[in-house]
Amino acid sequence: MGQSALIARRSVLRGAGVALGLPWLSSSASAASALPSRPPVRLGFMYMPHGVIMDQFWPKSASEFLTSPPPALQSLQPILDQCLMIKGISGVPISPFNGAPHALELSTWLTATLPDADTRGRVNIAISADQIMANYVGPQTLLPSLELATMPQTWKENQEGLHEAYYSHCSYRSPTQPVPAEIDPRNVLNRLFGRRDNPGQMVRANPLDRQMLDRVLGGARDLRRTLGRNDQMKLDEYLDSVRAVERRVAAIESRQQAAAQEKSGRRKDSSTAAAPIEIRIPEGDKRSEYMQVMCDLTVLAFQTDTTRVSTYIGSTPNGVSYPELGFTNQHHSQTHHENREEMVSKVAAITKFNIDQFAYMVKKMAGLPEGDGTLLDNCIMLWGSGLEDGNRHTRQNLPFIIAGRGGGTLNTGRFLSDVSGNQGDLLTTLLSCAGVPLDRPIGIATKEISEMRVAGK
Amino acid sequence: MRFPLNRAVSFVLRAIPCCLLLLPASQASADEISADEAKLQAEARGVFKQQVTPFIRKYCTGCHGSRPEAGINLDSALQDPSATSSFLHFQKAASSVKVHDMPPEHADKQPSDEERQQFLEAIRCLKYMAPRDPGPFVIRRLSRIEYGRTLRVLYGVDESITAGLPDEVPGEGYLNSISPMQSELYLEIANRVVNQVLPPECRKQTRRPHPVLGRVPGRRDDPRAMARGVARNLARGAYRRPATDAEIDVLVGIFDLGRQNGLSYTESLILMWKGILVSPQFLFITPATPLASTGTIAPLDDYQLASRLSYLLWSEPPDAVLSGLADRGQLQQPEVFRAQVQRLLSDTRLSALFDGFGAQWLGLSGLKDQVFDPQVYPQMTPTLRQAMLDEARLFFLSVVQENQTVFQFVDSDYTFVNQSLAEIYGLSQPVSGSAMRRVKLQDPNRGGVLGMPAVLASTSFSTRTSPVRRGVWVLEQILGERVPPPPPDVPQLQAQDQTSRKDLTLRELTQLHQSQASCTNCHKVLDPIGFGLENFDGIGRWRQTDASGVLIDSAGVLPTGQSFSTPAQLKQVLSSRRDDIARNVIERLTAYAVGRPLEGYDELVIDRLMEKIGKDGYRMRTMITEIVCSDLFTYRRVQQ
Repeated sequence: MGQSALIARRSVLRGAGVALGLPWLSSSASAASALPSRPPVRLGFMYMPHGVIMDQFWPKSASEFLTSPPPALQSLQPILDQCLMIKGISGVPISPFNGAPHALELSTWLTATLPDADTRGRVNIAISADQIMANYVGPQTLLPSLELATMPQTWKENQEGLHEAYYSHCSYRSPTQPVPAEIDPRNVLNRLFGRRDNPGQMVRANPLDRQMLDRVLGGARDLRRTLGRNDQMKLDEYLDSVRAVERRVAAIESRQQAAAQEKSGRRKDSSTAAAPIEIRIPEGDKRSEYMQVMCDLTVLAFQTDTTRVSTYIGSTPNGVSYPELGFTNQHHSQTHHENREEMVSKVAAITKFNIDQFAYMVKKMAGLPEGDGTLLDNCIMLWGSGLEDGNRHTRQNLPFIIAGRGGGTLNTGRFLSDVSGNQGDLLTTLLSCAGVPLDRPIGIATKEISEMRVAGK
Repeated sequence: MRFPLNRAVSFVLRAIPCCLLLLPASQASADEISADEAKLQAEARGVFKQQVTPFIRKYCTGCHGSRPEAGINLDSALQDPSATSSFLHFQKAASSVKVHDMPPEHADKQPSDEERQQFLEAIRCLKYMAPRDPGPFVIRRLSRIEYGRTLRVLYGVDESITAGLPDEVPGEGYLNSISPMQSELYLEIANRVVNQVLPPECRKQTRRPHPVLGRVPGRRDDPRAMARGVARNLARGAYRRPATDAEIDVLVGIFDLGRQNGLSYTESLILMWKGILVSPQFLFITPATPLASTGTIAPLDDYQLASRLSYLLWSEPPDAVLSGLADRGQLQQPEVFRAQVQRLLSDTRLSALFDGFGAQWLGLSGLKDQVFDPQVYPQMTPTLRQAMLDEARLFFLSVVQENQTVFQFVDSDYTFVNQSLAEIYGLSQPVSGSAMRRVKLQDPNRGGVLGMPAVLASTSFSTRTSPVRRGVWVLEQILGERVPPPPPDVPQLQAQDQTSRKDLTLRELTQLHQSQASCTNCHKVLDPIGFGLENFDGIGRWRQTDASGVLIDSAGVLPTGQSFSTPAQLKQVLSSRRDDIARNVIERLTAYAVGRPLEGYDELVIDRLMEKIGKDGYRMRTMITEIVCSDLFTYRRVQQ
C-alpha cells in the first residue's frame, strides 16, 4: 500500500524512550498528577473491517474457550486466561442508510451513533469513546491520545450521500471533527519521543514555545470575535488543538525535570518497570512487519505512559489486499463469498492475520512487568470488526476480543456466549472499567454489561 | 413534452442582465433580489402547490409522513419546501420515482408514466424557491498540499518539509478540521522552517540583511520599532492580507517575550516568526474585515477572493500581481477579476488543478498504490504507472488551457505518450525514450478518457477487467448519474478461474445480474457500457480475446435503444448526451471550487451556468471562468 516508500531505510532505535517517555513510575506519577500510586488503566482499540468467518471465530462453548479455542484465536492461546470474549453485542441499526454498510462500519464503531441524516454530506456524528476518555485522562500525559492506521484515510466512495470521511475514520473529537490517524511509524516515533535520529532538528521542550503559543491563542481569540458563528466554531477547533499542544509542551518540561532529578540522585526510581521496549522500523513493505511496528509503538506509548488511549485502524474497508498471504484479491470482494470454499478460506486467512498482529501486541504487553503485575494487567485492549458476517452485512453479534484485566476490573479467561447488549453498552462498560466518569450514555447505550466485570469492582 | 414553467423560466433567464449572474456592483445591497427573480420565485411556488404537493400527498406521505419510513419525511418537507434538509428528501423521492422504485410494487395506488414524468418535471421548480445563498464560506484551513506550497513560495523551503501531516481529500470531500496531532506538527514544521532558512549557527549578529528578517539594528535604531516593521512584512505574506494593528501588537508581544527571556534580537524575531506560522491567520484563509452585522450574504473581500482563486487554480498563495490588485481594491471589478482568471489559467502552475481536481474526478488518485497481480501484468511497473498519470495530466491540461470543449474529454484525436505507454497503445509510429510527447491518434477507439490506460487500469481488478466497475465509472464520472450501491446479500462475481461456473465467459457471468429482478434495473444500464470497453484489458491494452482465449464481444444496446459494437461507437453514443456530460463537469468543478457538496440554491446557479457556458459550446476556460465569477464563489453567507 505504499508504506514502503515512506519507510526509506532500516533504523534501529534502542531505548528511544529514555529521555522523554519514562516508563510509568510510581514516584513521578504521584508527583506530576497527584494520582494514587497505582498504574493507570490504558484503553486501546484495533480494527479490521468486513467481519469474520463465524464458525472459525466464535468458540464452541464457554468451557472449550481455554482448552480448544477456534482457529482464528490460535495465536492468542498462551494468554487466553487474560482475554475475554463476548457474543451478543449488536451494532447500531443502519437504517436509513441501508446502502452504506461499509461507510458505517468504522464510523459507528466507537461512536455507537449514526451520522445525522439531514447533513449527511458533512461530517456530523458524535464524539467517539476513545476521545471521551482522552478528554478525561489526556491532560495527564504527553499526548491526549494516539491514532494510528495502516492505510491513508483518503478512500473516495460515496454511499447514500454520506461524507467520504465516514469510510476511514473511527475517532471523532467532536461530532464534526474526525481525528486523522498517522500511518508512518517514523513520524509516530518522532511524535512520541522527539527526533533522536536527527539531532538539532527539533527543539524539544522550549518553555518559550509554550508562552508563545499562549500569546498566539490570545490573538486567535481576538480574531474569533470578528467572525460569524460558523467560522467561530471552526476556530474553536483550532483553539482546542493548540491548547493540547501547550499541555504537551508543559508535560515534556515536567518530565525533563523529573529525569534530571533522577539522574542527579535527588529522586529514586522506585518502580519495578522494565526498560522501554525497542522499536525497529522495517525496511520492506511486508504488511505484518509494518503492523507490528505500529503495535510496538502502541505498547511503547502505553508502557511509558505517553498516552493512555489509542486506536489503530489495522485495515480500512475496500481497496485492501494482502499480497503477503499469497493472493492479490481484495478483502472486500472475498467477504462476499456465498460460502464458496476458496473465498471463505481467504477471508479466514485475512482475519487470522489481523488477529495475529493483535496477539503480537498484547503478548508483548503481557511480558512487561509493571507495578505488581504486567502492563497488560493494566490495559484494556479491544480487537474487533464493524460487521459480523461480511457476506450478508449482518451486525447482530459483532466480533470482539478483549485482552487485559483493566486494572483488575475485567473478569478474564472467559467466553460469554450469550450477552445481550449493544455496541454502546460495550463502550460504556469499557470506559467505566477505565475509570472514566460518563455524564451520558455513549450512543445507543442503555446499560453497562455487568457480566464482564469482576464482581464488586 | 416540455413543461410550461421551463419555457417561462428560460425566457426570463435570458432576459436577466449579465451583472446579476456575475459580480454585482458593490453599491447595490447584496440582499436585494431583482423583480425577475421575485417573479420566478412566485411562479415556482405556484407550480409546487399545484403539481408537486398533490402527487406527494397521493402517493408518498402514507408511508413517508409523520412516521417516516426509511428516514424520508415528506410531510415536514412539504411544510418548508425550500429548506436544505427538505431538498435532500425531495431529491431522494424524485430519484426513486424516476427509476420506478417508489411507490413500491405492493402499493395500492400507482402513478401513470405520464404522472411520473410530470412530477419529475415539476419538482425541478424547487430550486427557484430557495433563497439566494452562496453557502457557508467557513474559514478554510489550508490543505496539506496548499500549506506546503505556501511555505515554499514564501520562504523557499522544499514542500517535503510538511512530512508527517496526514494525506487529505481536496474539494467536495475536504475535511476542514484540525486535530491536536496536526497542531503539534504545525509547531514542529515551523521549527523546521526557521532552522532551515536561518540555521542556528548563522544567527550571530551580522551586517548583511537577511531576506526574511531584514538587517540587525544599529546603535541608533529602535529594535522594537524595527521588529514591528518585520512583523508587518512577514504577516502580509503569511496572512495573505495586511495584518490589523491588534494583530501586529500580538506579534510584537512575542518578540518582547523573547527579549525578556534573554534572546538576541534575531532569536526573538524567530520566535515571533514561529508564532506567525502557527497562527490561525496563516493556517486558515481568514477575512480581512470583520463581518458586517446586517444582511444575509456579503461579497468576499478582495484578499479572500485573491486567496480563494489562487488556491483553487494554483494551490498557492496569491502572487504579487493578485496581491497588488487586492491592495488597490480593484479585484472585485468584473473585468479585472476575469483578466486575472485568464492569467492564472494560462500559467504552468495550473497543473495543480489536475492534482487537486482532475485526478480525483477521473478516479486516478489511487492508481499509484493499486495492487496489480505481477503474474498477470508484469508490465505494470511504477514507471509505467507514472507515465499513465502523466498522460492524463497533460491531456487534462491541454483541454483546459487550449479552451477546448468539455466533450474533448470523451472523444479526441490526440494524446501524450512515451515509449512504454506507446507500447500499451500499440502505436505503429516509433516513440522512444521516457519523455512524454503529443501524438495524433489514428485509431477511433482511442482518444479521450474512455480509452486512456490510466482510467482503464484504475477501474480494473488485480487480475482482470471489471465491466461493472467500468460501467459505474462511465455513468458516474462522465454522465454524472448516481448509481445506487448493490443491495446487501449480493455477492460480487467470482474471478474467471473459479470452478463452479468455469464454462461461462465473464460476459455470461455478468449477465447473471440481469436474471435477478433486484439487479436488473441498474445492471441493464451498467453492463453494456462496461462490455463496450472489454476490448481494453486490465491495463489498457487492446485485445481481441480474453485471458481464456474467447473472442471479446463488445456489442451492446442501451435502454434507450442506442446500439454499438466498438468502443468508438460507444463514445459516439455517449457524446450524444451533451447536456449530461457538461452538467456533470460543471457540478463537480463547482463543488470542488467551493469545497462542499452542492445543495438547494446551488442547482439554480448551475442551471444558469449551463446556459451561459452552453452558449460558448461548453469550452473549458469559459466554464472555469463562469464558475469562479458566480455567487457561490464570490459571496459568503453572513448568518443562518
